[in-house]
Amino acid sequence: MKKYLMSMILELLIITMLCACVGPQMTSKASKFPLMYQETPVSILILPPINESTAAEAKEYYSTTIQEPLAYSGYYTLPYPITSEILKMEGIYDSELLVNLPLSKFREYFGADAVLFTTIKKWNMSYVVLASNLTVSIECVLKSTKSNQILWKYTGTVVVDLSGGDSGNGIAGLIAKAIVTAINSAVADYVPYARQANYIALSTIPYGKYNSQYNKDQQFQFIDQAPDLSANNKQ
Amino acid sequence: MNKLIFRSMKANLFLTSILMLCFGCATQPQKYYFGDYSRTLYTYEKNKNDETLLKHKQELQKIISESEKRKLTIPPGIYAELGYLDLKSNDINNAVMYFNKEAELYPESKLFIDRLINKATSKNNANTNTSVVSKDNDLQSN
Repeated sequence: MKKYLMSMILELLIITMLCACVGPQMTSKASKFPLMYQETPVSILILPPINESTAAEAKEYYSTTIQEPLAYSGYYTLPYPITSEILKMEGIYDSELLVNLPLSKFREYFGADAVLFTTIKKWNMSYVVLASNLTVSIECVLKSTKSNQILWKYTGTVVVDLSGGDSGNGIAGLIAKAIVTAINSAVADYVPYARQANYIALSTIPYGKYNSQYNKDQQFQFIDQAPDLSANNKQ
Repeated sequence: MNKLIFRSMKANLFLTSILMLCFGCATQPQKYYFGDYSRTLYTYEKNKNDETLLKHKQELQKIISESEKRKLTIPPGIYAELGYLDLKSNDINNAVMYFNKEAELYPESKLFIDRLINKATSKNNANTNTSVVSKDNDLQSN
């Protein structure tokens, strides 16, 4: 029992130390994303993802994973398979071209309160001697079709250690191992990790109208990723 | 002694990380039933043919029946997607029926759904196979 207690204390100490080392700055939903609570968007148009990764197929695959978690967060997501097809027919396939354009058209055409830009930052496997890592990193930016301002922005990253051995990465390594179940092959399926990255990113979005936590989550704390968000909007 | 502490510490760390993981997932209340939606859509995107499309359509129908069985709200977009598939296969009546259900359930979809209904009825009147969105160029203008 004593040993157990000691180990618990040690563990707590280590966790505290780890947290202190990384030094994440915490913030709350209300202080980070005040415009979300002011504009209270309901309907969201998901734009085709912007692919900055080296995997050409990532765009098609990733796009099938984002609707569901966004709906769970309490938003009305315009049906992506339909809207993406319409956008394609209208010649809009590269969302990067839309980043700095007025978004009011999407309000007029789709009735969308906001549009979601997703950028696939990483979607790859990296091989190191005796180890391989699979990384999926997704940046989400929600912009208002009313004010054109950034309402919410967060990045979800999942790194999976596929080497199977003891990586000694501490908590991060263990978490990755817990996520990995049976995938040790080179032909890894990225989609489950894209889903995981979505959930990480969307854990910070203020809940929408169709979630029971709507307007009750202002004080929810999370790691501040981009202290420059307000600066972005002033440009 | 040290070894023992280290070992149980490791186990604890593992448990903590599992707990953290569960916490992350479990905080989402189960409000919708999505079934295998993203997987059938993904399979269709990966390999577009009649078979994968049919699988996805069946999944959409299953989401509706399962949601009704579990007394859950039909998730956003499911009715609309079914309607769109019917529209593509020229089943205009069913398409309009599904579109209306979507707009009833989610009033914020009304503007977009009305557009789809207009396309469906004009397609019915014209009774041709012209592209569903061929007449809409307003997104590109200005």
